[in-house]
Amino acid sequence: MSGINKILRLSTANIKKHKLESAALALLVMLCMLLLGSSLGAGIAIRSIFPQVVAHTQSYQNFILFLEKTYDPELQQILDRKEHVEESVTAQILGTMSGNYLDRQGKEQALYMFFMTKDENDKIQTTTIDSTLSEAEIAAVEHPIVMPYTMHDSLGYREGDSFDVVIGTKHFPFTVTGFYDTLIFDQVSSGVKMLVSEEDYHLLSAVVPPYVCLAYNDSYGAGGDDLLSDYINEAKEWSDQDIMSGIFAMDYGSIKLGIEMPGESVMAVMIAMSVIVILAVAVMIRFRIAGDIRDQIVNIGVLEALGYTSGQITGAYVLEYLLLAAVGVIVGLGGSFALTPIIFHAGELVSEHRGQVGIAVLPILLAAAAILAFVSLIAFLRARAVKDYPPVRAFRRGQGDHRRTKSRLPLRDTKGHVHLRLALKGFLENWRQSVGLTVCILVSAAAVVFSSVLFSFFAGNKNAIAATAGMEMSDLRVTLMPYVDAEAFAEEVAALPEVRKATPTCSELYFGVAGTGDTVLPNIFTSFDVTENIFPATGRFPEHDNEIMISVMGARHFHLGVGDTITIEYMKVEKPYLITGIVTSSTNGGANIYLTEEGAKRLIPTYRPNTVEIYLEDGADLPAFRSEFTARYGRSLSDAAKEQAAGGTLEDRIRAEAEQQIAEMLANYGTTHVEYAIQIGDQVITGDSSAFQIASIMNFNDILRTQLAGMAASISMIATLFMVLAAIVVMVIILVLMEATIRRQRKELGVMKSMGYTSRELMLQLAMRIMPAAVVAVTVGTVIGVSATRLLTAYVGRVPVRMPLVLVLDAAFLAFCFVCGYLGARKIKKISVYELMTE
Amino acid sequence: MEHAVLHTEKLCKTFTNGGVQQHVIKNLDLEIQEGAFTVIMGSSGSGKSTLLYALSGMDKPTLGKVFFGDEDISGYTNDQLAVFRRRHCGFVFQSIYLLDNMTVFDNVMTGALAAQKNSPALVRKAEDLLKKVGIGEEAWKKWPNQLSGGECQRVGIVRAVINDPQILFADEPTGSLNSASSRDVLDIFTELHSKGQSIVMVTHDVKTALRGDRVIFLSDGAVIGEHIMPPYGTDDLKSRRDGLQAFLDQMGW
Repeated sequence: MSGINKILRLSTANIKKHKLESAALALLVMLCMLLLGSSLGAGIAIRSIFPQVVAHTQSYQNFILFLEKTYDPELQQILDRKEHVEESVTAQILGTMSGNYLDRQGKEQALYMFFMTKDENDKIQTTTIDSTLSEAEIAAVEHPIVMPYTMHDSLGYREGDSFDVVIGTKHFPFTVTGFYDTLIFDQVSSGVKMLVSEEDYHLLSAVVPPYVCLAYNDSYGAGGDDLLSDYINEAKEWSDQDIMSGIFAMDYGSIKLGIEMPGESVMAVMIAMSVIVILAVAVMIRFRIAGDIRDQIVNIGVLEALGYTSGQITGAYVLEYLLLAAVGVIVGLGGSFALTPIIFHAGELVSEHRGQVGIAVLPILLAAAAILAFVSLIAFLRARAVKDYPPVRAFRRGQGDHRRTKSRLPLRDTKGHVHLRLALKGFLENWRQSVGLTVCILVSAAAVVFSSVLFSFFAGNKNAIAATAGMEMSDLRVTLMPYVDAEAFAEEVAALPEVRKATPTCSELYFGVAGTGDTVLPNIFTSFDVTENIFPATGRFPEHDNEIMISVMGARHFHLGVGDTITIEYMKVEKPYLITGIVTSSTNGGANIYLTEEGAKRLIPTYRPNTVEIYLEDGADLPAFRSEFTARYGRSLSDAAKEQAAGGTLEDRIRAEAEQQIAEMLANYGTTHVEYAIQIGDQVITGDSSAFQIASIMNFNDILRTQLAGMAASISMIATLFMVLAAIVVMVIILVLMEATIRRQRKELGVMKSMGYTSRELMLQLAMRIMPAAVVAVTVGTVIGVSATRLLTAYVGRVPVRMPLVLVLDAAFLAFCFVCGYLGARKIKKISVYELMTE
Repeated sequence: MEHAVLHTEKLCKTFTNGGVQQHVIKNLDLEIQEGAFTVIMGSSGSGKSTLLYALSGMDKPTLGKVFFGDEDISGYTNDQLAVFRRRHCGFVFQSIYLLDNMTVFDNVMTGALAAQKNSPALVRKAEDLLKKVGIGEEAWKKWPNQLSGGECQRVGIVRAVINDPQILFADEPTGSLNSASSRDVLDIFTELHSKGQSIVMVTHDVKTALRGDRVIFLSDGAVIGEHIMPPYGTDDLKSRRDGLQAFLDQMGW
């Protein structure tokens, strides 16, 4: 018992002696506990979100959306006949990838939108609608719309808010009447499925393509992706339609991953941060104990002479750090319980689903125990060095341990700045101590560079995204009506003053890779000289009809490279193509291929471009152009129908009637152009079909901004957190290191002061002393950070790293280290030469 | 009258310990002449070292002024005092205070480079001075704890004089040395003085004090007596010792 008391007394005395360092250590442990505890606690709760959504919605678990025009009821029979398929159902749904909505400022924002009636939705899930409105209030709403929760949580919509859907030139005003949970099309980034009335569904169906949603359950659970893939192949074989165009296929595993991954990524980042902190704690403990043993070596000898065993002294050190860690862990535990709901809510936001937070106590307690055990182990491993100093050796200040190596950087060779020379000497003298510092700065620098590169890529640089998109990022992508000659249309548009370039291409066309069941999206151009955002990472553009480029992701997936052959199929026609290049491609999951028009004609002899990429002149007003352009070319059948019914003057009614007939002819009789002249008395009313040319318009920049907004916000938050955390860790480590150095070298610093070195010069020397370690650490950290970024984004291809930004960041990091070192060394000012000399 | 390189006006130094004020130097007026070897003696606690450090800019006076030539250094900041020390002063300590983590030669160069840029001439000067005090080339790369106490103090003296200080301050420079080493060290001081070096030395050792040409005696922070002697070596040592002893007896030593 007395032995424990002795140890406790020694430990508490040591803590009191180094209050600042002790407080810093407890703070770091607290931070580590906070990060680890709350991430584990919230992580478990976040993982429960998906099962809760499944239970709550009682939803079917796998979904395939076929364009209604390509669907045949036999497709459901084929599915039902497959082994492991337990049940299936079909429902009607509308979907568009070229729709917009008006945000609160009245600006059009891109959003993938799907529409169902509640009755249809009930076929695939249980629809439970949350609303703050009464039934009477809902009944009074003319155009009600029910949205997934993410529209409430991410975009801030509330019951009673207006929600204007914009399809082409048409506006569909809705009023939000409630929110509900759904398993598919449940994220702003990937599309939202909204519930509308029968009447509105009918109105929308005139401009939004109808789909058949085939939902099914299988006995696989999360492992049914092969079943889905097999089924799609079988369906493709069976059908004489192009069922692959416009298809959406989602299996249970990918839906689960889509919901869970964002939250789990946040957790992984937090755990990574806690690892950085615990590493800093380990380094700090090691050099604090080492310094303490060095400083206290005579006292250690005295204690041993008095009868304390080296085990007891080692125990005292371990206990000291255990006590400090316990304080940090207890405070951190409290913080973890408080922070867990906040982190969980962040998890809900990134997963775009709601769940119920429940604090998992056991993992948090296990984390606490692990931290305490880790701290004790590190302390023990370092403090057991005490046994190397029996009393007599300790009295002699460990003599025999003094190294007798060659003097490094002798001052007789000093060139220029003596302070730099002395700093470097100091660094070499204490390089072991610098190893810990180097590791801490290295890890921090790597984390900061990694997160910053990603942040600058996703949030800071549109061009960077465009460069990796692997598809053209024109200002407007216009898909034309089937009867429109895209090349002629492109020529006409290119002549507009605001337009820099208009390039015919194709969209909504899907090919397959023979023998794999994989679907790929072709990017087809007359020549790739006209493209601006497609870059081969290796190889060259295709030039001949038997040449093709595939994406980096595709190359990895199919294990193919430049010079290999890939067989592409379309509607049972298969053609081999020689791969001439591999393209950096981050869009469409990398399922992009690139071939010339002539190449496309090998598969589809009647191939004609159906889309035009429009590039505007610099400084052109895109919204104004889009509005004018849509009014000029983008009228639809339903526009004409509505105008016909709207009344107006006689001329208006006649014109509306004429346009209605034109629209009918264009849509139903293969007509490609109509001109009319109608005489009423002396008045001649003329017109043509030029206004009915556009099927849809997309602005990829807007879509990308919407899709990447969440990611950019998350990465921005993570980058900021990393930077703050790295700054705190590095600052604490450097401050503690400086304090320990000054305490250890008090005599030397006093002597140097007596020789005339000023406090500022000595502060400068000490700050410069850490800089070699900092420079090495930041350099290696940067290489690791950049490499990690490249490694993680390698599936895309060449993600550009903005090296000037990285270098500025490195310089700022080094400056921060220097400033911390300089300010941390300010205690030198308190060293009185006189007091030192008269001690 | 010789030029006063250093003088004080109403110099006071007070320490506060546990709320109790202790007046160590009291209204002291003192002049240190250029080229003089001034020895400060007194019993323990008389304020010898305190006076030395106040004169040398190691410590600031509580009240009063210290002039270096015509320049009042008592209002200097700590960094200004540091610059003053490296330009004008050299120090030899009882505990020697060589830097353990530097070789003999680097210890000397650390002092030199505090005040001037490195040059071949400076390196040569350090080598010459070390040789002159009997520290051969074989010892230059040694660490301080590989030298004897006497050798260390000789290195300390070289470090103190490498910048040609206008005043060399020494606080019990032989206090930790044996008699043979003490003699060697004192011979160096005598030689430096003979070449015109101003020296202010604190000691309580009569043999050491004999090397000076002026002995001032401090008691309770005030100069209570002064004894002038001819330069060391120019008179009979016995009569020199007797004269000093008589003075010290008179001071109650």
